[in-house]
Amino acid sequence: MKATLRVNGASHAVDVPPRTTLLTALRDDLGLTGTRFGCGVGQCGACYVLVDGRAVASCLMTVDAAAGAEVTTIEGLARGDVLTPLQEAFIATDAMQCGYCTSGMIISATALLAADPRPSEDAIRDALAAHLCRCGVYVRAVDAVKRAAGAAR
Amino acid sequence: MSGWGERAPERVEQRIRVEPDGTIVALSGKIEFGQGIRTAFAQLVADEMGVAIERVRVVLGDTDQVPWDMGTFGSRSVAQEAPVLRRAAAFARELLARGAKIEGVVPNDVRLLPDSERRYVGKPMPRLEARDIVTGRATYVADVRPPNMAHGAVVRPPTRGAKARSVDDTAARAMPGVVAVVRQGDFVGVVAERAEQARAAADAIEVEWTTAPIGQGGALELSMRDDKDVDAALAKGRTRLEAAYTLPPISNAPIGPSAAVADVRADRATIYAGTQRPFGLREQVAEVLGLDEKSVRVLPQMPSGTYGRNSSADAPVEAAILSKHAGRPVNVQWTRAEEFAYAPNRPAAYLEIAAALDEHGRIAAWRYDEHTNVHTGGGIDPSFAAMTSGRNAIPHYRIGKARVTLHVEPTPLRTASFRSLAAAENIFAIESFMDELAHASGQEPLAFRLAHVDDPRLRRVYERAAEMSRWGRAPGARRGLGLAGTIYHGTYIAEVAEVEVEPSGRVRVIGVWAAVDPGQTLNPDGVRNQIEGGIQQSASWTLFEELRHRDGRVANTGWDTYPIATFRDAPRTIEVDVIGDATKPPSGVGEPGAVAISGAIGNAVFAATGVRVRQL
Repeated sequence: MKATLRVNGASHAVDVPPRTTLLTALRDDLGLTGTRFGCGVGQCGACYVLVDGRAVASCLMTVDAAAGAEVTTIEGLARGDVLTPLQEAFIATDAMQCGYCTSGMIISATALLAADPRPSEDAIRDALAAHLCRCGVYVRAVDAVKRAAGAAR
Repeated sequence: MSGWGERAPERVEQRIRVEPDGTIVALSGKIEFGQGIRTAFAQLVADEMGVAIERVRVVLGDTDQVPWDMGTFGSRSVAQEAPVLRRAAAFARELLARGAKIEGVVPNDVRLLPDSERRYVGKPMPRLEARDIVTGRATYVADVRPPNMAHGAVVRPPTRGAKARSVDDTAARAMPGVVAVVRQGDFVGVVAERAEQARAAADAIEVEWTTAPIGQGGALELSMRDDKDVDAALAKGRTRLEAAYTLPPISNAPIGPSAAVADVRADRATIYAGTQRPFGLREQVAEVLGLDEKSVRVLPQMPSGTYGRNSSADAPVEAAILSKHAGRPVNVQWTRAEEFAYAPNRPAAYLEIAAALDEHGRIAAWRYDEHTNVHTGGGIDPSFAAMTSGRNAIPHYRIGKARVTLHVEPTPLRTASFRSLAAAENIFAIESFMDELAHASGQEPLAFRLAHVDDPRLRRVYERAAEMSRWGRAPGARRGLGLAGTIYHGTYIAEVAEVEVEPSGRVRVIGVWAAVDPGQTLNPDGVRNQIEGGIQQSASWTLFEELRHRDGRVANTGWDTYPIATFRDAPRTIEVDVIGDATKPPSGVGEPGAVAISGAIGNAVFAATGVRVRQL
């Protein structure tokens, strides 16, 4: 099946079997491995990307459904070497350990801050609740989002 | 203790190398999986060699480059490697200053940089991988993409050790993208161009399996301490108490399921893996492939945090077999269900304690029976069992006459290394029981503990955690504070949990305050992060987790049936004070945070409700 994906501002032609997920196409066809595989059934949040600005599980979306939409992955957030305030805040607070869940968290937090630049603590927790972290950096990640929201003000 | 402490004389060239562009390469057999050792080692080497940290590159676990190492577990990386790397770096600096080549045995009297002149060590420092992680550039095992790579999938037997009686792969061979169907003994797998094609073909293979009952580990009874006249002392105590505590089996549950990439050629192999034992894996792969060990290179990649799970190699061996037969590099990515169903786990534990207090309310006698299963992949080894399945079974208190017995029993469940091994089970029982003893004898729980503490470093962390949490305050309706602590591989830690018990019975952790003394501290914020993470993960074990199994088959194989704590469950605050005694050698922090929190939560629930938690 041939399709054209818009990813991080560029168009990519892909030729994949029917029902191929956006996650697989990103990782295995476009080499954008910053979007992580975690469960394949939308329960862990590791594979989140922005689709037309909305944070979604790329393992639950087919290439078909994503064609025509503007997809942004973790690789597409920074402008060259200039990181977003969220990325900077995650570094500054060391809101990571193994970092496997970090891509997804930053994606959802990006969508949150775009919709609500001054989120409450509960709003942050709700927005990030889809993202499981086993290393246990939840409290730091909440702090990172607060810090980024402060910096963006 | 073999292999942990003893080493051949250290040669500087095995540890430090200078590249033509001036980069200082530091070499260690340990691996990084989120604990921050790459950063800590870089701080250490940059200081000792007097260079900017940006000039230091730390190579971890590459079996072609680093000296042999037993493995990354037991929170030993900093304790074991920091002194060695520091001395090697100091010697390298001397050699460079003399214009000499970097080679030779590191002399015993090598001059170290005085602590006061260190620029990086002791300062908080973001991890070196941070920028790559937040931009998605960090490559984990499954992200390795050698040219011409194919994907593999494995046909799983219904139970461990089942024999493949017959294999019908007719349908699979005709499926799109299939490169090879592989059978080697009882291993059956598929290689295909795309991952989903390999998975579909594996599902289409019909295997008839012969299963047999499984029981892992056998039985062992080990006396860990056996003083004279314990029973008599127990019988004549003023206050006598007995209790038993139960913990279910739980999963390491890494967010990224196991993965590996193998590139096997006729005469050599390269294995990209998230292993905690690069050299052990090299040996295993060499044997499976029939190659000489020196022809196998294990190149550890960042895995998702795995907390002990990657002491056992599964995906790397599977990828090696598949690559050998397919003649191409093969990437094996386990599914989420495979990870839950086939990965090794922390076994169940049943802990019986009896104690007697004398007329002054002090512990006069103590009897402890720990019933559990093997905690390491290698099966029962009497010389290791006390350190693994029996870890922290001997209390960190003065307990009078004591008998401590470890009973290791067989289980059909696959069990192996887990963060802190048996320490979290034992400390849950011991610290819950200390609380029970305090209440049974009308003593305040903190004061009761301190009355049985001789070690000033232990006293200091208990007192500091109490101070941080404002111990003794009344936290409000349905809320309570609970205390627990431990000494884990030389690291002292005490933790106070504040919980709220909702009318439904649901327990929420509101806050945790921890004081930790890991000796000299390389990266204080790295230490805090590790301790916070240990607390968060262990709170999840305590409140949410139980692996259900029957005849060795795991029943809950997804996040829906094996829920872990989420952002909504995380405490509002986790405060960690690092009060390392700088005169003491550094000790580990990867596991200690996880050890005491179950006890702190259980004791807090009792404080809130009067109900004692004896089963997790």
